[in-house]
Amino acid sequence: MRKTIENIRSITVAAAIIAVILIAVWLYRSLGDARLEMGADNSIDLTPTQIESIKAVGEWEFLSISTEELVDTTRKRLFGDDQLVRIYYGTLRLGVDMKQVEPGWITQRNDTLFLTLPKIGLLDRDFIDEARTKSFFESGTWKAEDREALYKRAYRKMTAHCLTPTNLRTAEENGRESFRKLLRSMGYQKTEIKFGK
Amino acid sequence: MRRILFIWPVLLLTLLACKGEQAGDGGVYQATDTLPMLITQIQKCSRLYTVEMKVHKIVTHDDVIRLRGSVLQKDFNFKVPLGARKIAIPMDATLKAYVDFSQFSEKNIERNGDKITVILPEPKVLMTSSKINQKEIREYVALARAHFSDAEMTEYEQQGRAAIIQSIPQLGMFEMARENSARVLVPMLTALGYQEENITIAFRKQYGVDDLKRLLEIIP
Repeated sequence: MRKTIENIRSITVAAAIIAVILIAVWLYRSLGDARLEMGADNSIDLTPTQIESIKAVGEWEFLSISTEELVDTTRKRLFGDDQLVRIYYGTLRLGVDMKQVEPGWITQRNDTLFLTLPKIGLLDRDFIDEARTKSFFESGTWKAEDREALYKRAYRKMTAHCLTPTNLRTAEENGRESFRKLLRSMGYQKTEIKFGK
Repeated sequence: MRRILFIWPVLLLTLLACKGEQAGDGGVYQATDTLPMLITQIQKCSRLYTVEMKVHKIVTHDDVIRLRGSVLQKDFNFKVPLGARKIAIPMDATLKAYVDFSQFSEKNIERNGDKITVILPEPKVLMTSSKINQKEIREYVALARAHFSDAEMTEYEQQGRAAIIQSIPQLGMFEMARENSARVLVPMLTALGYQEENITIAFRKQYGVDDLKRLLEIIP
């Protein structure tokens, strides 16, 4: 009887030890696989693109000037300055608006065709692709007005750098060449093309 | 007493620092133009723009911090309290469809007596400008989070721009571009002496959705 009790006790102890070992192994494996991460999804939500207006145009582009402008602003403070630096991208398109052609803009005398095209100018007043802007550096907090001011400065600088008499002249020369080529392909060999002033 | 005397200059300096910030908010910034223009690429071209479309999009981003993981072979994924931020960025963009005449030649013209057929290349669409409505941007930031940085906002704007470009095939610009090309070219050809009924403006091919996607001009 005593021996039986001792045997039962030994078996119980052994079973307990085995159970503890098994639990320890299970915990070790489970916690070994444990992972923890914290983060946020950086992509935008799906929203519709709404058409605000659509219109027919007739604009002939002869010169395209793609440019980028680095603009910065600084705010003086007692302990270090705040700074915002952005890179803006834009494309100035030079050409003519065919809706501005006057009656009788094409005339023919003998074997020569005379064309009078409207004055070369900027086809789009809004030429900055602001959604393409890159933020280069930022320290401190900046408001919408500050970004708006940077946009306007980038606009003025791009206009000053790109809307030059040389570029307007180049656009005019290319426009003349383009129309000459177009008319030649239609069989008109002699053409005189001028632009409005 | 000594301690109080020591604290006074620190408080004074702190107040001065705050004053500097207020002056900044009032618009008295020292703006500097120290950096030059980077790159200018000039390209001669001959493009006839025939359709202009203005589109509007509100780019939204729900920035929720989530705690994800697995413990004891049980996966979990939940929102961290006080960690949410939201932003809505309204933007406008101008899209234009054009016909490229740079490769135009005699091969694009077919004449048969008094009749003329002008075969135009495939119209293309590009985004000519975009504008962020800075004053209408709305953001909601939880106490435990920082405001959206300029870099984060520009990244969302770039994603919004890409989404607009992706949506171009559904906007129906290509068909309008074809019709309007004729409206520009026919008066020119009539001025050259052709009768309107003898003029045909044709395009190279019909487009499927895959073709339209291929024709999008995406600036990297």
